[in-house]
Amino acid sequence: MTLFKLSLRNARRQARDYLVYFVSVVMAAALLYAFNGLVFSQEILNLSRRMAQMPSIIVLASIVVVCVFGWLVSYTTNFMLSRRSRELGTYILIGLENRQVARLFFLENLAVGGCALLSGLLVGNLLFQALRAIVLSLFGMPYGFSFTFSLPTVGLTAVYFVLIYLYALRRSRKRIKKMKIYDLIYFDRLNEGVVIQTGQKRRRLFTVSIVLGVAGTFLIMAGNFLLGILGAGSLIVCLYGFFPSFASSVPAFFDRHPARKYKGQNLLVFRTLAAKLATMGVLMATISMIFTATLISEGTGMVFHGTFAGRAAENACFDLYIGMEDTDRLRTEYADYIEKNIPVEKSLQYKVYCGENTQVMDYLNKNTSYYSYGYERDSVMRYSDYAALREIAGYPAVHLQPGQYLIHCMDYLEGVLKSYQQPLALGDDVLDWGGVYTEHMIQDDGLGNGVGFVLVVPDELAKDLPFHHLGYAAKTVHPVAEEQFYDLYDIHYEIHYKMDMQSDTYDTIYTKASEEADMAVMTAAIVFPLYFLALALTITAATILTVQQLSESERYKRQFEMLHKLGMDWREMAKALRWQFAIYYIMPAVPPVLIGLPFILNLAKMPEPGVMVGLNSPAAITGIAFGLFVLIYTLYILLAYTNLKRNVLPERGY
Amino acid sequence: MLQVKNVEKYYGGKNNVTKALDRVSFDVEDGEFIAIMGASGSGKTTLLNCISTIDTVSAGCILLDGKDITELPSRELAKFRRERLGFVFQDFNLLDTLTIEENIGLTLALNHYNAAAVLDKVKETAGKLGISDILDKFPYQISGGQKQRAACSRAMVAGQSLLLADEPTGALDSKASKNLLEIMTQMNQSMGATILMVTHDAYSASYAKRVVFLKDGRIFNELLRGGRVRSVFYHEILAVLAALGGDVSDVI
Repeated sequence: MTLFKLSLRNARRQARDYLVYFVSVVMAAALLYAFNGLVFSQEILNLSRRMAQMPSIIVLASIVVVCVFGWLVSYTTNFMLSRRSRELGTYILIGLENRQVARLFFLENLAVGGCALLSGLLVGNLLFQALRAIVLSLFGMPYGFSFTFSLPTVGLTAVYFVLIYLYALRRSRKRIKKMKIYDLIYFDRLNEGVVIQTGQKRRRLFTVSIVLGVAGTFLIMAGNFLLGILGAGSLIVCLYGFFPSFASSVPAFFDRHPARKYKGQNLLVFRTLAAKLATMGVLMATISMIFTATLISEGTGMVFHGTFAGRAAENACFDLYIGMEDTDRLRTEYADYIEKNIPVEKSLQYKVYCGENTQVMDYLNKNTSYYSYGYERDSVMRYSDYAALREIAGYPAVHLQPGQYLIHCMDYLEGVLKSYQQPLALGDDVLDWGGVYTEHMIQDDGLGNGVGFVLVVPDELAKDLPFHHLGYAAKTVHPVAEEQFYDLYDIHYEIHYKMDMQSDTYDTIYTKASEEADMAVMTAAIVFPLYFLALALTITAATILTVQQLSESERYKRQFEMLHKLGMDWREMAKALRWQFAIYYIMPAVPPVLIGLPFILNLAKMPEPGVMVGLNSPAAITGIAFGLFVLIYTLYILLAYTNLKRNVLPERGY
Repeated sequence: MLQVKNVEKYYGGKNNVTKALDRVSFDVEDGEFIAIMGASGSGKTTLLNCISTIDTVSAGCILLDGKDITELPSRELAKFRRERLGFVFQDFNLLDTLTIEENIGLTLALNHYNAAAVLDKVKETAGKLGISDILDKFPYQISGGQKQRAACSRAMVAGQSLLLADEPTGALDSKASKNLLEIMTQMNQSMGATILMVTHDAYSASYAKRVVFLKDGRIFNELLRGGRVRSVFYHEILAVLAALGGDVSDVI
């Protein structure tokens, strides 16, 4: 048999024995292909001028992802090398040179990597289609499935893969070349003496890390930025102290509580876990850190998406909107441009007024988190303007009863303002509360329709109120193109320049198409890379945990066979395995949850009020981020558990 | 105590049947120390596995205190093993993640023994077998002989009535083997343990009160030690082994 055939045979066995690892490498290739597909897709890049920033961000994220997968492949290759040291030693024993064995190992890993890359390209293409569909739908473009390979994408993915494998295999090649037969054949004896360390120092470290962990959690929960950083620091130190010292603390605990030791499954579950952690404590802490990074990137991605979506939804209600100060009519420059270039179906120029006092703002400040930037008094609008605006935006008509006023507000203020119901005094007139409406109406900008809310009053009562700014809203025949938006913006800068930079007036311009494109661009350029990173991190950490666990199959099998002979009931064995498994997987996930969730929650509260609502509310985002993490993690856990249960537990019935 | 009646065991499919045990019958009295001998492939481990309910018989029955253990429903098998049988294996089969104390105590935990009293019970049994000073050690920290004594402690700590030993001296040097066999004799004589030991070592078998010889799945011969000294019994065993045929050096 040639060395090449032997390598192929070993590669097949490796892919079977380390199926989870193989699947993960396939996923790595798929992710790299899919995201790099966006970089080279002219169709996607042509969607908007602003898409130009996306490729560099994705390439940057890819470099981080390559490092993460490089670590995964390097770690697993090294791990497999240790597990197979006896076999490799035997090759040397029967006459192969170290160089040849290194080549054999290199070839079989290359074969596995090659197969994973090919399969990954196929899966990656499907994944790319999904990303393409999302981006196109964000731009409101039709999507058609097409299974075409982009050669530059395949090339770049292959380059990334070569980098990953060269890094990992160079290390193992060096190691094999230096190894002696004795080291290889008796490699498994190296760890024998240090399975459990019971030093007092380690036990003290355990106590200190528990104290730091509890303190860190409380500091993070405090919600203060500096305290939060201090808390996160404490938790990181706690991780690197807790996991390596756990193995020593278990015997110490059992020595103090011998009765607990022999209760139920405790002895088996905790001792096996302690033995595992004794050899992989630092790794477990690192995995915990990776999970933290996963949750944070996932949560940050969702917060960004929520912010972009929230702002876009609020500001994309009119095909075209211009808010202007210091003028009581649409500036000529804009008017000329619109007349020449943008066919308008309906339009309205209207004034937003300052009310007589701050009674609604005061009420909001007292009852909710509210910022009134740009307004010193409650903002007011004429009913006829409001009705016309609703028509331009395509909202159903509302009627104002005589002697009443309406409130139009952002969604998040609805509850508070519905319970307001105070009369409104304007001059000698007093108006009764007539209801609250919450459709999107550009209300998160100083030059929109009030900040958070606007009071809609009968026309005749508004005429004597002080003018705040002018609004121009239009329903256009065709969506305002991106280039037209930029032209309007150029006009806006020219006007500002003409004003000799004396005034701090900046007009506000929104177009539905541009807001939606902004959201789509931000999603593709910022949210996608963050998810990309989160996925890569989860896959890496879960794979290493699973490979570690499954590599113990033989030992667990012997253990359960022996327990079976000693008369342990099958159900009890399954229960012990389940417990052992659950604690093994839950332990590294607890600190990330303690660090990550408060972080996401606080981050989601940072955008201006009213943006993060509904499914994008801080609580929902935190819940969804946690749910997504749990979902992917659970898939790996289930895969590993079914595999282990099948291989480890004796046949039921005997 | 134990009655093995016409036990047969076949392996394989329709066209390739191997007969591992062929109408094997014998009785083990309460408090007896019996050795089963035979060359490799003679069926002795299969017989032990059938008695220990790890394997099923193809025909015949095995009665323990009058109860047919081949008819036990699967749910009761585990209970039967943990309450009535003690095992000593050739490769010790101690869990390397547990200390010796925990390895012994594990059997009591499996039997749902009062958790608070486990430690005292373990200490008591370990004291009898002279391993009190290694209770806090892990298996990799002690010698093979000590490991096997720990296995013996585990096999009797829960008051199991029948101790099944499969080549218990197989992985031990001569000194440790002698020591273990003396301990087993002590367990049998002073503590009243009933022992069924499978071995192909004549020296080990000479410690038993009775030796049953298996050849090709059948009982070939049976030797009773009676009042003879061990060295005489040992030579008688060697003589039977020679008559058994096969490679004598393989069985010594």
